[in-house]
Amino acid sequence: MDFIYAVIPPQVLNQIFVGLSRTTILFIVSSGMSLILGVLRIPNVAHGSLYMIGAFMAFTVSKAFGGGTTGFWMALVLVPVAVAILSLIVERGLFQFLYEREHLMLLLLTFACSLVLGDLVKLIWGAEYKSVPVPHMFQGFVPLFGGIPFPLYNMFLLIVGPVVAIVLWLIVNKTKIGKIARAAAVDREMVGAVGINVSWVFAFVFVIGCLLAGLGGALVAPTVSVTLGMDHTLIMEAFLIVIIGGLGNIWGALLGALIFGLSQSLGILIWSQFGIVFPYLAVIIVLLFRPTGLLKSTW
Amino acid sequence: MRKAFHVSMCFMFIFGLLAVFTPAFSADTIKVGIVDSYTGPPTAYTKDVLDGFRLAVDKINAKGGVLGKKIEYTTRDEKFKPDIALAMAKELVMKEKVDILMGTINSGSALNVSNFAKKEKIPFFVTYAKSEKIIGQEGHHYIFNMNENTEMAGRAAAVALSKKPFVKYWICGDDYEYGHAIADAVWKNLQKLNPKVKKIGESWWKLGEADFTPYITQIMGAKPDFIIVATGGSSMVNFQKAAKATGLSQKIPFYQHTATELGTLLSQGKDAPEGVYGTSNYLFYFPDSPANKAFAEEFMKAYKRYPKASALTGYMTAYFIAEGFKKAGKIDNEALIKALEGLKLDSPIGPLSIRACDHQLELPTYFGVTKKDPKYDFLVSGSNQVVSPNDYMPTCEEVLKLRKK
Repeated sequence: MDFIYAVIPPQVLNQIFVGLSRTTILFIVSSGMSLILGVLRIPNVAHGSLYMIGAFMAFTVSKAFGGGTTGFWMALVLVPVAVAILSLIVERGLFQFLYEREHLMLLLLTFACSLVLGDLVKLIWGAEYKSVPVPHMFQGFVPLFGGIPFPLYNMFLLIVGPVVAIVLWLIVNKTKIGKIARAAAVDREMVGAVGINVSWVFAFVFVIGCLLAGLGGALVAPTVSVTLGMDHTLIMEAFLIVIIGGLGNIWGALLGALIFGLSQSLGILIWSQFGIVFPYLAVIIVLLFRPTGLLKSTW
Repeated sequence: MRKAFHVSMCFMFIFGLLAVFTPAFSADTIKVGIVDSYTGPPTAYTKDVLDGFRLAVDKINAKGGVLGKKIEYTTRDEKFKPDIALAMAKELVMKEKVDILMGTINSGSALNVSNFAKKEKIPFFVTYAKSEKIIGQEGHHYIFNMNENTEMAGRAAAVALSKKPFVKYWICGDDYEYGHAIADAVWKNLQKLNPKVKKIGESWWKLGEADFTPYITQIMGAKPDFIIVATGGSSMVNFQKAAKATGLSQKIPFYQHTATELGTLLSQGKDAPEGVYGTSNYLFYFPDSPANKAFAEEFMKAYKRYPKASALTGYMTAYFIAEGFKKAGKIDNEALIKALEGLKLDSPIGPLSIRACDHQLELPTYFGVTKKDPKYDFLVSGSNQVVSPNDYMPTCEEVLKLRKK
């Protein structure tokens, strides 16, 4: 270990790991958004609201199962499914009629959706802060590098991130519907012309994307105060990540999330007083040299 | 003929709606207009101001009102936007003809409404906004501040912290006015009271930051003795959660204004970190006096929840308005202002008075530390140290010097 510390100080290693664990949530949410953007061409501002709803649902589910470890795992399974069902209703009831409209119209519509969903959350759960307890097995911390404590829950996030990425890769690349969705992203008229019901392919993609938002919400819930407005903070970061990664490219979302998370945690170490600017600085640099994003955009 | 019938029906319907939705103010009442945020995250705090106010108004009216007149109030949602707040205040004064304005949680809104109240010569009671400008730089004859401001909170914390042995301080907070104002107030006054203190670093994060882990691990690496954390709203809870997860709360003590308040601790239940220093201006279980117990029980009975700090603000605002008019002996704004200056009233936490020079309510501050209590299923403020207003409030000269001539 001492050899590694000589090259990279333990403080830096620690910040890298903290940054990576933060990347997990950002990646899960922004990959869902990127997927929807890539295939459906909807800049889904309501994506953040679904993330918030996911967190609130996690609160309810976790409480219903006694607030302990069982509640946490149940929330992790049930919440994404519930958010997926909600999104299916929204897609079938609303978005499917509007795919041919221009982007501005869709942007306004999803923005309106985010306002409606935000008020819905207030009606159902109220304005009080909610808190989801960290499951017992992930409470506390482990001394990681140089004895600096690292939260166990973040350790868990470090495992979840790659798992989600692999599952997503399998769905997109190895399943038939994934292949159709990719084809539809490139040329939806051609896909329709060979006799595939594009409408339902779109519904499928939309639901998967929203499921990821719900999963992100359920995962973030134990680490933050579940409150109204948590969607706004995230949606901005998610949009930036999607843009620097390349519109509609989920690996771009992964790369973008990594850049965002790491530049933040390392930026804090370099200059804590202005740590806030580093991720945005990284975004500017990327956009200066690669205006269309790092990876190939599907647009 | 039929068309005329339809049209007249439509008109009747519209007028019917207007009759239902226009709050019917009768002439023989004292009208209070409340402008505050009733949508979005601030609702968690503004609801208690309104409920505390309502509790007091109902009691006052049940006893026959003030000088034979009942107190009536109407609310407007400013949506946390200063321009809407101003429009709402104008509407309340011009259309609803309110005698008194009250609100709001947004400091920008409070300043806008305050400016308008000054022009219209209408008393304005500030119930949540915490900018010191409200009573300082922008203060005037018609404004009353019913809660603490950042300068007061900072000074009270500095008084308590100056007696602690900490030397190496780290300062961090939300990168916007409230965060910087609180941090500056604590630090400026702490340096005066204890010249030995040293600042070893600062970190500032964006408003609404959700993940504090990278900030905390970095601060822990710098090994300060004590951390001043200047956050507000939901970041209070987010920071405490991250402090617990990273073990910060066990290693390095830290201070947050309102850390010990119910609003911060209730939602976290038993999982909130112990040993966090905080200041608060109202706790429903401290002081453990009959008056405070009675108020908490009354509030509990009416709304099925414990009162937060802002409930007291709303409650006392109603009583100050009522008793002010009684003392003045007539319903007249100038007479009310004169009567309120120096007025001392009993409150759930003991006698409180409005300072004559700057119209600031003189509040004690409770400096405590979070701890578990078998009586409640959430953490409470323990080892409470009462910082009396005389020991920490900025003096009249200091406040008036700030004011524009």
